[in-house]
Amino acid sequence: METGNEQGQKAGLTLAEVRRGLAGVKGKKYWRSIDELAGTPEFEQAVLKEFPDAAQEWVDPVSRRGFLKLMGASMAMAGLAGCTKQPDEPIYPYVKAPEDLILGKSMYFATAYPSAAGALPLLVKSDAFRPIKVDGNPDHSYNKGTSDAYAQGTLLDLYDPDRAKKTTYRGDNRQWTEFMETWRSKLIAAKSNGGDGLALLSATVTSPTLARQWKEAQAIYPKARLVQYDPVSRDAVRAVLGAKDVQYSLTDADVILSLDADFLSGSSFPGFHKLTREYSERRKLATGAKDATMNRLYTVESTTTTTGLKAEHRLALKPSEIPAFAAALAVALGVSGAAAPSYAWTDEQARYLKALAADLKAHAGKSVVIASEQQHPSVLSLALQINEALGNDGKTVFFTDAVNPMPTEQTAELKALVNDLWSGKVDWLVMLNANPVYDAPADLNFKEAMSRAKVTVHLGKHADETGSLTDWQIPASHYLESWSDARCYDGTVSVVQPLIDPLYESHTAHEVVQAMLDEPTKSAYDAVRETWQPVLSKSGDGKSADFEMNWRKVLHAGWVDGSAYEKAATATVAKVNAPTPVGKDAIEVQFRPDPTIYDGRFANVGWLQELPKPVTSLSWDNAALMSEGTMQRAGLAEEDIVEISVNGRAVKAPVLVVPGQPENTITAYLGYGREAAGRVGSGAGYNAGLVRTSDSMAVATGATLKKIDGRWGFAVTKSHYQDHRSKFAGGQGTGNNSLEADEALTRGIIREATLEEYKADPGFANEGETHPKVEKEITLFPNWDYSTGNAWGMSIDLNSCTGCNACIVSCYAENNIAVVGKQEVRIGRNMQWLRIDAYFEGDLHAPKAHFQPMACQHCENAPCEQVCPVGATVHTPEGLNTMVYNRCVGTRYCSNNCPYKVRRFNFLLFSDYETESLKLMRNPDVTVRSRGVMEKCSYCVQRIEEAKIAADKENRPVRDGEIVTACEQACPATAITFGNLNDKTSRVHALHLNERSYGVLADQNTRPRTRYLAAVTNPNPALMESPVEVAPTAG
Amino acid sequence: MATRDLTTVDPRVDPATGELRVLAPGQSFKSVTAKIADIVLTPHTSLGWLMLFSIGGAGATMLLVAVTWLFLKGVGIWAITQPVAWGFAIINFVWWIGIGHAGTLISAILLLFKQGWRNSINRFAEAMTIFAVVCAGLFPLIHVGRPWLAYWLFPYPNTMNVWPQFRSPLLWDVFAVSTYATISVVFWYVGLVPDFGTMRDRTKSKFGQYIYGMLSLGWRGNVKHWMRYETASLLLAGLATPLVLSVHTVISFDFAVAILPGWHTTIFPPYFVAGAVYSGFAMVLTLAIPLRKVYKLEGLVTDRHIDNMGKVMLATGGIVAYGYGMEVFMSWYSASHWEFFMMWNRMFGPIGWSYWMLIACNIAIPLTTLWVRKWRTNLAFMFVMSLIVNTGMWFERFVIVVTSLYRDFLPSSWGTYRATKWDYMTYAGTFGLFLSLFLLFIRFVPMIPMHEIKMMLPAAKVKSEAVEAGD
Repeated sequence: METGNEQGQKAGLTLAEVRRGLAGVKGKKYWRSIDELAGTPEFEQAVLKEFPDAAQEWVDPVSRRGFLKLMGASMAMAGLAGCTKQPDEPIYPYVKAPEDLILGKSMYFATAYPSAAGALPLLVKSDAFRPIKVDGNPDHSYNKGTSDAYAQGTLLDLYDPDRAKKTTYRGDNRQWTEFMETWRSKLIAAKSNGGDGLALLSATVTSPTLARQWKEAQAIYPKARLVQYDPVSRDAVRAVLGAKDVQYSLTDADVILSLDADFLSGSSFPGFHKLTREYSERRKLATGAKDATMNRLYTVESTTTTTGLKAEHRLALKPSEIPAFAAALAVALGVSGAAAPSYAWTDEQARYLKALAADLKAHAGKSVVIASEQQHPSVLSLALQINEALGNDGKTVFFTDAVNPMPTEQTAELKALVNDLWSGKVDWLVMLNANPVYDAPADLNFKEAMSRAKVTVHLGKHADETGSLTDWQIPASHYLESWSDARCYDGTVSVVQPLIDPLYESHTAHEVVQAMLDEPTKSAYDAVRETWQPVLSKSGDGKSADFEMNWRKVLHAGWVDGSAYEKAATATVAKVNAPTPVGKDAIEVQFRPDPTIYDGRFANVGWLQELPKPVTSLSWDNAALMSEGTMQRAGLAEEDIVEISVNGRAVKAPVLVVPGQPENTITAYLGYGREAAGRVGSGAGYNAGLVRTSDSMAVATGATLKKIDGRWGFAVTKSHYQDHRSKFAGGQGTGNNSLEADEALTRGIIREATLEEYKADPGFANEGETHPKVEKEITLFPNWDYSTGNAWGMSIDLNSCTGCNACIVSCYAENNIAVVGKQEVRIGRNMQWLRIDAYFEGDLHAPKAHFQPMACQHCENAPCEQVCPVGATVHTPEGLNTMVYNRCVGTRYCSNNCPYKVRRFNFLLFSDYETESLKLMRNPDVTVRSRGVMEKCSYCVQRIEEAKIAADKENRPVRDGEIVTACEQACPATAITFGNLNDKTSRVHALHLNERSYGVLADQNTRPRTRYLAAVTNPNPALMESPVEVAPTAG
Repeated sequence: MATRDLTTVDPRVDPATGELRVLAPGQSFKSVTAKIADIVLTPHTSLGWLMLFSIGGAGATMLLVAVTWLFLKGVGIWAITQPVAWGFAIINFVWWIGIGHAGTLISAILLLFKQGWRNSINRFAEAMTIFAVVCAGLFPLIHVGRPWLAYWLFPYPNTMNVWPQFRSPLLWDVFAVSTYATISVVFWYVGLVPDFGTMRDRTKSKFGQYIYGMLSLGWRGNVKHWMRYETASLLLAGLATPLVLSVHTVISFDFAVAILPGWHTTIFPPYFVAGAVYSGFAMVLTLAIPLRKVYKLEGLVTDRHIDNMGKVMLATGGIVAYGYGMEVFMSWYSASHWEFFMMWNRMFGPIGWSYWMLIACNIAIPLTTLWVRKWRTNLAFMFVMSLIVNTGMWFERFVIVVTSLYRDFLPSSWGTYRATKWDYMTYAGTFGLFLSLFLLFIRFVPMIPMHEIKMMLPAAKVKSEAVEAGD
């Protein structure tokens, strides 16, 4: 306020002040800066003089905003605000290099999404200089064009209307230059004492350039320090491998054991894209079953994940039992020096252990044990020792330098920093892209500790829980807005290339740290170039080369050639002993990154909030996930609110039952219960971090449960009933099965066989009573002729699909799908065009799951088309079932008559026509649907048309693989294939002829164009007689 | 045979035939005309009428509010969702249309079959039909997502050169319902012309004379007029008769043509028609019993009418019961898993209670009691029964629409249905609209066709004919 008054007293806006305001601003200065100046007190004064009537409005904060809106609108008309443009520095388009922008013609730029688990190389689609679709870089060897739900969601994160827009000091708008002045003067003052009292707290540093900048800064300020902290840390790796990382390769692994490692669910597990691809490649079976081979997956896990459900043999154990199990396995495999704590394994568990050990032994050198990083370090340590003993090192297991340039044990470092804060040793606390007030361990009481620092600074995309409390809040740039660099899983460096100038006045960690160096205003672009100058000035053989040319190549391709880490077969593995499991009756609470919003950083991304989580199909919330037995013993019911007391703290959480969850184990996903996430994320779920302390970052034991009043109300996108039908009525008579899954199997919606059965009867998917064939001629209306031209079709391999959800978020972005909110999802109105159906087969205590992506099947004999009274849904000559939005009056008859229930209706005005920033994000090739209109999967018709036009110009047919649907493009398991069925050489043609190919509900004579490949599993015969899935329930 | 329990001294029974009388004895041309016309022509509007009209008006206003909000926000204010994309709107539509059937059946089919007793009730039954069709017709119009484009369902020449999709049963509905509404209104109006003439002649008010004069189309009651009137009535009856069967048949196609188990059934057309007549007669009873009490019309609407309507309900209820039974039987006999599961789910699924409501209201209660003439002529009993049957018939549509949809082919997309306050307000609002219209009708239009009653009086007949006709 002080400075505000001082400036307010000055009369008018002097030229000098304008110049000062303009100082240090890059780009086209005049236009951008007037706009910025609009926020200054002088400007407000001037407006007040000009519009005295507005004075009253000006004081009232609400209508003041309304007034500013009007002012903003008039300024925009004057050409000041609102336009986007490319960054000033040269960036290079990927393949198509237009001389200039051709409207309607998209450009593609290679960049990378930096994350602590390793960067994801991307190829981002840009339309009129707006990034509109994030996808994997198809030429990159790590992910080969695939992506994941988080990476897809980062697009909406960029256009999040709730992002911080202005630099503020204690709530007042300031300039970045003002911060820099203050920061610089502090630094100059601190130089003499070596930077004592300066502390930087950053999210895991992923950029080699930032690491270099920090190293240089540390040379000048030896006493200053930088602490890295992420709530989902990789501390276990650091404890076991120090500055090394472990990499797995599943291509040659016949037997895979996951020790609580959820490597198929999503990219919170390092190497997800590569591991999923390699896993699923070994499960693709061509026609001709005789020589079919497959890998076999064992999963020992403490909560139900897709990795467990995809496994041939799953064993659910309490979190604290997993280290002991790993130790017992190490002993069984003869790992030298391994000692297992004595523990009473049940007969079932012992049998599983024995069979597993035998199978691993039999596949020595062709197996792999993958360990969780969110477990006790002993699990990783033992897993690596087992791999070594099996001779897997160098074959399926490799060691490299750490992907993150500054690997540290984060929790311990944060603890030390907080201690220093309490003892008053920290003057300046600068937080870079971190939100410790929300996500630091609860026992550290970071909020209070932070207030002990004299000046606190927060650089963050949102004025979040931390940013709203710090002195300075500086908007951080999104990775699509700023230059940086990062390494992916194998160490290959990608340059993070921006596609758009910052939407708001945002800045990067590079700039904050650069201010500590000799050239304080050097841009991130220059800093990144400087880092790679030595590397790119040399060619492969060590001779000097043209840096500029190589730089262009790097930007064009998306990575620095030859920068992958060397893979070593050995590493020093710290031996960590497994602790004795806590008692079977002790309730354990485990904390895991959320499958859709990670650690809360995506809390305000509507796509990811609304995305049903794998396994539970829960959206918009997290829950206390527990088994039915645990729930009943605690006297609870689903949707009850339970108070979980552990570590001397308590949190109130809603209860949800998960099939296959171990007894007395509560899984709590992080990232919810945000208070300042924004309009979407604030208030969703509960904050599991409230009971997470620095010594129980993974698991807290000894929790007590207390039912408290109230009900929660979940938005679960699928129904789950137990099958209480008698055998006469088609049930099992036990009441323990899922009604939906029993029906799905009876109806032939899910078809599966073991490898042995498949070899004996390759046509199993199309035989038997439930799979009748319908003659094409049996139809009231004449058939269309599809024998010429293109006939689009899709094949989905259920053996590959892991249910990771990447396809759904990709579909959101490509097709401008609306987010409807929790209440609407609760009553079943979610708008996803594509969903992943999960069926839990067998006893729900030990289920086997089937995942089935389900979108419009583009029936040749479509029931929806016949009933539409206005012909708003019609068939194209190429076999697409299309929606004519313009023509739709909204009778919803088509939806009723769709046996797949894949049509989605705009019951209300779900699309956001108001928010400006979201308009930039939309795919211009796809209509934004209004209220009262039906919509559904179009096979990405806009992409089909684009490819057809391109082919027409060259006077050739569309090539196989030229059209890639959004879901297909994202799929890390390459389970989805799209193409022309009339092209006898196309992949989809071959897949439809595969003997495992079947149409869902084909007995209804719908003749779907999407067909599924029945899953085949490869169980261990030793465990086949009575499959072990879970410990028998205690109660 | 049915006369055993009645003594011959019962004044309600005609001693000549042993049947209940269609008209109470002692009526003359004058008394009939006075009785019926004076209900309308009295300058005093009763307090009861005003109270009921204000209730009806309040209901209609509620409907207006609900529909306004619906147009502003979208059909999402209702409970419809995925997978139950049709809800109250379609249920109510089918229900109201079904109610309408009794009027046409009485006025057309019974006319052709020369069922003289129909004359006492056909006028207000037809009015009921028209108002029920008004209420019904509202729903398909407002239930679409973009009601301002609902006219696209009509085949009209347009610059876009687009036609409706003629394979869709919804389009057939448009034709069926609009034809039905047109014929019903014309038939009703033609029947009213002679009575409007009477009203014109009897009313004392200048305004009334003017209006009734216009409406009576210059009716003078000469023989030529009567001849043409009779011919027109017969022709219209002939036109309307197939409509009684066709309207609900076409509406049943909305369901039967779809592939959904529970909808895809060939039994639907006859079963729907029977159900419609069933509920229609129940509604006639609901209206007739209070009307004859309030306006002291016991002499014109006698126990014979109540009894006969009870018999029609018994017959149509039996057909409906056969339909339900066949559905259950076929779900097993067809050996189709889809059908079997649908029926199991209908009976024992989470919304299974609605099925048992329907069985109780449509079969268990009426079909066990309506056999007894004593109960059939008990007014309180029949009034309650009519309400029960209409509740049951509403549940029948609820069961067909909701329980078939909420658990269909793919178990992953199963859902549920829970009506919102807007659903209830809209439904209740149509009662208000119906009540308002009906009250206006009984206040301004003779509710019993005077000329047709007079034709039934002994004085209108040749002696031998009168004996033959049993009067």
